[in-house]
Parts: sequence; structure tokens; C-alpha cells
Amino acid sequence: MIGAAQLLGALLKLTARPRLEAISACAQARTRRVFRFAYEGIHQDLIQESVSITVTVLHRRRIGIAGTDTLDLPSLRRCVQAAAGIAEHSPTQDQLPEWPRRGRVKMTADYQPATMRLSAAACVTSLKRLFQLCKGAGADLAGSFLTGDDELAVANSAGLSAYSALTVSGAKLVTMYGKLSGYASGVHRDVRRLDLDSLLTRSLGQSLHRTDPVTLPLGPYDVILEPEAVADLVGWLSFTAFGAKSVQERSSFLAGRADEPLMDPRVTIYDDGNDPEALRMPFDFEGVPKQRVVFIDRGRAKGPVYDSIYGARFGQASTGHAMPPGDTEGPIPLHLAIAPGQQTLAGMIKSCRRGLLIPRFHYVNGLLNPREALMTGLTREGVFLIERGKLTRPVTTMRFTQSLLSALRRVLGISRERRLIADPSQDLGCSLMPALHLAHFEFTGRQES
Amino acid sequence: MPNRPLPRHLITQLVRDLARRGVDYADVRYEHVEHENLVAEQGRVASISRHDSAGVGVRVLLKGSWGFASTSLLDRASLAKAASQAIGLAKASNLLNRAPRPLAHVVPRRATHTSRYSIDPFDVPLAKKLDYLLWANTELLGPDAVKRATSHMDFHKRRKLLCSTDGADIEQLLIESGAGCEVVVQQGDEVQVRSFPNSHHGALAQAGYEYVKQLDLVGGAKTAQQEALALLRAKPPKAGDTTLILAPTQVVMQLHESCGHPTELDRALGQELSYAGGSFLTPDRLGTFQYGSPAVNIVADATIHGGVGSFGFDDEGVPAQRVDLVRQGRFVGYLSSRESAARIHQPASGGAMRAESWSVPPLIRMTNVNLEPGEASLSQLLSGVKHGYLLSTNKSWSIDDRRLNFQFTTEIAWEIEHGALGAVVKNPLYTGITPAFWGRCTGVGRPEDWQLWGIPNCAKGEPMQLMHVGHGASYARFDGVMVAPAK
Repeated sequence: MIGAAQLLGALLKLTARPRLEAISACAQARTRRVFRFAYEGIHQDLIQESVSITVTVLHRRRIGIAGTDTLDLPSLRRCVQAAAGIAEHSPTQDQLPEWPRRGRVKMTADYQPATMRLSAAACVTSLKRLFQLCKGAGADLAGSFLTGDDELAVANSAGLSAYSALTVSGAKLVTMYGKLSGYASGVHRDVRRLDLDSLLTRSLGQSLHRTDPVTLPLGPYDVILEPEAVADLVGWLSFTAFGAKSVQERSSFLAGRADEPLMDPRVTIYDDGNDPEALRMPFDFEGVPKQRVVFIDRGRAKGPVYDSIYGARFGQASTGHAMPPGDTEGPIPLHLAIAPGQQTLAGMIKSCRRGLLIPRFHYVNGLLNPREALMTGLTREGVFLIERGKLTRPVTTMRFTQSLLSALRRVLGISRERRLIADPSQDLGCSLMPALHLAHFEFTGRQES
Repeated sequence: MPNRPLPRHLITQLVRDLARRGVDYADVRYEHVEHENLVAEQGRVASISRHDSAGVGVRVLLKGSWGFASTSLLDRASLAKAASQAIGLAKASNLLNRAPRPLAHVVPRRATHTSRYSIDPFDVPLAKKLDYLLWANTELLGPDAVKRATSHMDFHKRRKLLCSTDGADIEQLLIESGAGCEVVVQQGDEVQVRSFPNSHHGALAQAGYEYVKQLDLVGGAKTAQQEALALLRAKPPKAGDTTLILAPTQVVMQLHESCGHPTELDRALGQELSYAGGSFLTPDRLGTFQYGSPAVNIVADATIHGGVGSFGFDDEGVPAQRVDLVRQGRFVGYLSSRESAARIHQPASGGAMRAESWSVPPLIRMTNVNLEPGEASLSQLLSGVKHGYLLSTNKSWSIDDRRLNFQFTTEIAWEIEHGALGAVVKNPLYTGITPAFWGRCTGVGRPEDWQLWGIPNCAKGEPMQLMHVGHGASYARFDGVMVAPAK
């Protein structure tokens, strides 16, 4: 952890009393300690400590952006000079970002020192135990285990200084037994609450079966999607539907459909970067406080998220969803959630006459036809056929091609329990998802060797 | 930003220190990367950004366990701390690891390598680059149906110094340039996209600014706009098995997903199971498995000029090579590293270890995975096709965790009727199983139509590393492929 004093201190040296019209500086710092393992042991381990500073300069209605990966002052000053040089050569802009004025934010409540104090030897000792349990069950083990922290700081020449820090720990476990494999992942800001044993139990539960997986005919199936599978699908909507840019270019299914009933009335989808259950991020990369934004309110289409540039284009205030300066994808929600329902996962399975239980998807792509949220992807480990309310046989890999918009009109149930889904080794943000029971989910292909 | 001096003295001193600390092997890699990104939208400059990153990564092997740590602080204390962290991780992993981890032999080299370029893109005045970018962007605009017009340029300069306890001392300078346009059009509920010269920032080459000048962005932008508008009026393909001709812009994505990834030896050995998945090309199939038809010859070539997967030496100091992956349809080789090559008793690494930056360790990555050209012209490939489609420019991609069942859509297709190209077709989707699909390859285009593209965002590893990889291909024809409309 670099800490608020050093991180903000460096930024404030750049933004105080600028010779230029205005400056905003944003710093993202990250630490990750990762162990990756497969079969016989750990094949990769690393400590990654990185910091990335981006400086945005406004000068005579011109913008310049430059970045560097070090906090040393001469480099930061060179970075400001580079941004000013770019601004000098840039054309004047009609729309300029409106940065927040004055104010201090400091959020460190989600920083759990225990996560960072866990020694490398303690991590490996935990993994050794998992390997022993797996071996005892006759299964092989692969996966990853990480701990780390994330810091975000934003300061600008209008007097803003904002800082947040959180810790994160996560594990992914793949267990293999004969022709079957199982998978479980978990994430928590406090490594002491990351329950590796229960993850292993969940993964082994999917893989320790005597029956070989069955290959099913293609076509529509009722599906029960566990929270990670739901996140794999709904996460794509962050990029293709819920940002103002996709609405502006009309590729979003929200565009031109305000208040229309697009999904089952039980479905509410929103973004909330301040939810204490999530990996919180109280402000965005412009320093704007994050607002809760509802995209689908009891089935009806609502608005997208904005940053200051797209907010100005739509005549709206920023909702606090700006991405790092220089990113051209527009505002994006990073903390998606679906409101909980009334059912339990066990109850959903019991109520299903014939269907599939799907823990997660693989390689989902949501670019096929974003206007209809048409997506494709594949099942991976742990899929089971449900017959008359019971899990009967494991199922081989299948491909779906399905409009998510249509699928979310055919909701049979939403679970009360939600799970925090995040992959802190890959992506920013997280999601909070329930399990969904959907009718007639279309499967169009299968894995064959 | 001015070029920074190489911290050679610090690096070589650290390598000596690591050797004294009893590691079995260590390498220290300094990298300084500059990236410039220019974006124009709707006839205006939307973003100009430059990023500058420098640091050192330390990798050690100690009693069969790796450890890696990095720092952006180029002083003795910070480098020593990174070295201690790397050794500490390796020692911790030794609590679990029992097996030795031999490395395939490589002759340590003292060498320098500079990629070929004529005009350093960072020396070209910003105003000149923006003029060209805006000109191309303006060509995309006009009709009301145009909802977004985007043009971009990207330039990368990477300076590296790798020193190892084996005695390697390798300095490299790699320069990349790229550009492209994308237009989104809409009418009612119909939204279409068309890119030039390739989608996903695929026009990226290991070259100087001369590459951007030769792309003809302005002419291409006009064509992209017209084709996008034509797509609004086009019909979708008929569903069913048919003949497919893939343009080079789509063959490269097919190569990437269904050949490049499954021939990564770390995947085949299970080391990516927690993220990207495994591979159907397991070591027991090496040399015997029929991957495709005899027309299919695929190489991983890190020596080719212009490919963004080219280099002088990989990040383990192994010289760039041209490795056969598929020869006359048979699976014959892997992308490999020193460790993985030794695991399957290969005499030497295939030289495919690359890291995204100084802050992460190298992984086995694609270099330039190319389909070697055949002899047929496009008209020869078309002739005899009663009905089928020519598909161009990737739009979406998906493949299973063992790299067998794939599904792609492209931005555009043209109907083929009795050997001639006909109407534009929208929303084409095709799907198949990798060896069956390549097994139905009935023709590969000639060298004159062979094109080399870049993919700048190949994701792998934990933490995720985005790598620039290259792919070259000509047209290719496949019979009996399932095609459907993406709806």
C-alpha cells in the first residue's frame, strides 16, 4: 500500500497553483500477490506492485492527456509537460469535462490489514492443505490464489482531493476427477473470510461423480444459472447497453425505449458503487461521487450511466461512472447488481421438471447483435441435468446463442441469496448477482473431439 | 518524452547479486514503453494520450520454484527489495513443490536487435498525424444514418534490456504503428458496424509511421461508410451447411482462437486451467493428430518483418524462430518456453515467452501464427462454388475451454452464386469444431493476397496480460460449414 499521504501528496504537487487553466490527476495503485497451481504444485507466483498516474490538462479549451507509471516527482513533472504539449497541439473542444470542485473524500473502511499481512508461506500452507484434501478424494487440483490491494486517488486544480483504498483476496479452484471437473471461486476483502474449504467442497461436489457426463440434444432448455453464470451474461451489458456511449450510437437496447417494458417485472438491474456488500469505489476516475443508477426498474427500461463528457452531451449530470482518462469507451458501470428475489437455489432446482443447472459460462461474447443483447458462450465445469426436481447426470459442454433480452422476459425465479462476483486478477469492479431460473434458453452447439 | 538511458549498470549488478544469493537461475528485465493513442470522433479530436512506463522485473528459479517481483523505482534499494521478494516467493512455493524444474538449454547471447522502421512515429509532428486522422474521420460522416464515426492511431515504442545469470545480455528496440476507422450506422432497430482496414485495432504492424501512410485510411473510410449503409438494406444469410470463403481479416481470428491458443504448451500442460482453459492438442497427439486438410500449413514465425509478434529474442533470451505448428494438416509443434519444452523432452524452447510489461513475468504467447499461402487466386477459390458466402472482418468470437467448438460473426458477407460474388449479406454467423473445420479446408489463397495483421489485446494469465500478437493469412475456403443469421 502506498497510502493516502504519498499518493495524494504527489498528485496535489501537480495540481496546486497550475500555470495552466486546469489540471486533473488520477492515480491507480495496485498490489497483487498471486499463486497459480496445477496438478503437481505451484507453477507461477508473483508480486505485482504498480502505480499508474494520468494527468489531464485543460488549456484554452484544449485537452492533453499523458500518463506515467512512477511517482517520482521529475517523471510526474515531465508527464505534466507532455500533457501540456499535447494540449498545445490539440484542436479546441466544444465539450470539456466538468470536474468536481473542492471537496475531500477519504474512504479506507474496506482496507483490511490482515489481508496484506498474510505471509507467502501462510498462503502456500493453505494451498498445501487443499492439495492434500484433493489427493485424499482422488481428484486433481488447479487454480489460483491471490491477495492484494487497490488504491485510487484523484486531485484537481479546483480543489478536489479524493482517495479510497481496499483490500481484496480471491481464489479459483478447478478440481478434476475422471472425465469430470468442478469449479468454484470466491472473493472477499478480508482473506480471513475467504473460505477455501467451502470452495473446495463446492468444486469437488461438481466433479466427484461416478457417472460419465451425458451429451444432450440441442434446443431450448429451462436453466438455473448460478450467480457467476448470471454475472458472465449481465456483465456484457455494461459495455453494450448501460453506458451513455452505446445509447448515443443507438446500439444499446435502452436507446429509444425509455420506460418500455423490456424484461419480466421481477427484474431490476442497477449499479451501486457504494454498496457495502460490493468491492466499493466511492468515486470515479474524474473524482465524481458514484450514484446508484437503475437500468431496468421492475422490467422497464431506465437511463444509462454518464461521465462528465457524455453527461454534457445528454444534458445530464455525471453519475460518477467515468473511466480512466484517455479511455474512449465512454462511461461504464463497474458495480452491477440484480435485485434479489424470493426463492432459494434449492427451491428452484426442486421446482424444475427438466432443465440444466449451470454454475458459470465460458467465453461469452455479447457483440453479436447488441440491440437484442444477443450473446453466445459455452458451459464449462459443473453442469448438471435436472429431472423432476433432482440433479441427475453431469452434462458435457454446450454452446448457447440467446438474446438476453428475451431470456429475461422468461423469468421463472430469482434467488434471495446473492453472491459477490469479481475477478481481481483480471477486471475492475465486481457484481452482486442472484441465481436466475429462466425458461427456454437456446442451446445451439456442443463440444466434440 | 525523451528516451531514458538504459540502467545497464544497475541491472548487471543485480544479476551478479542474485547469482551470489544461490539461485539456480535468474533474469532481470528492464523495459521502457511509450504509447501514443490518437482518437477522432464525429469529425473532432476526441482524445490524445501518451503513456510512459518503465521498470524492472526480477524472475528467479530456486530449487524448482519460480518467484517474480517488480519495481518501477530504479535505485539499488528498490531493486534489491524486488529481488528479495522474488526469492521469498520461490522459497514459499518450495513448501509445496517437490519436483525439479529443468530448463531447456539455450546459448546465452550478448546481442542487440532493432525492429525495422523508416519513420519513428514519435518523431512525426502531432499536427501532421491529427490532420490525416481527421481527414479520414470526416470521410465516414455525411448520411443521417451514421451514428458514430471513429478513427484512431496507435504508436508503441518498447526498449528492453534482459540480463540473466546464464550470461545473456540482450538489448532490443521494437516500434509498432497502427491506425483504423470504424463507422456505426442505424436505421430503426437495425444497427450495423463496418471497420477499415480491420476491426479490433487489427491494423497494427511492427513498423514506423510509413505503415500508417500506406493504409489509405481516407479511401478506406469512404468504402467502409458505403458498405455499412449497404448492410442496413441487406438480407441475412440462409441457415444451413454451405461453402465459406474467409477473407484474410477473418482467417486471422480463426487462426488465433483455434490454432494459436491450443498450441500454447502451458495450456496443453494444464497451467491455464483456472482462467483460459486447456487444449485439445495434448502432448500425446503431437506429431500424429490430423488437425486439418493437407492444404493447411500453420507456422509460428517470430522472425517475419512487420509482425507485432516478432522480436530478436524472447523474454527468456531465446532467439526468434519459425516453428511449424501444423504441417500438411498434421499437428507437429507447440509454442513453448524453456521450462515447458523440457517438460515434454523437447531439446529447445520454441522461443515464445513474452511479458506484457516489466511488471509481470513472461508467459507462453503467440508470436505471429500464420496460415502459409497456397496457390489459388480469389476467383479460383470462387469458381465451382454453387452457393456460399465470403465473410470478412471479425465482429464477435467465442470458443470453448479446450478450443474445439467455435462461433464467429463477421461485419459483412457477400453471397456467392455459381462462382461469382453477389449481394451484400448482413449478420453472418458460422460455427464448427476446430479439426473438422480445418479438415474441410479445400483451398488456400495465393501469396499475392496474403496479409499480416495484428491483434493488440490477446488476454492471458493472472494477472491478465494483454499481448500484441500477429497473424498472416490469405483467403481460405471451407466446405460444409454451418452458417446462420445472428439474430
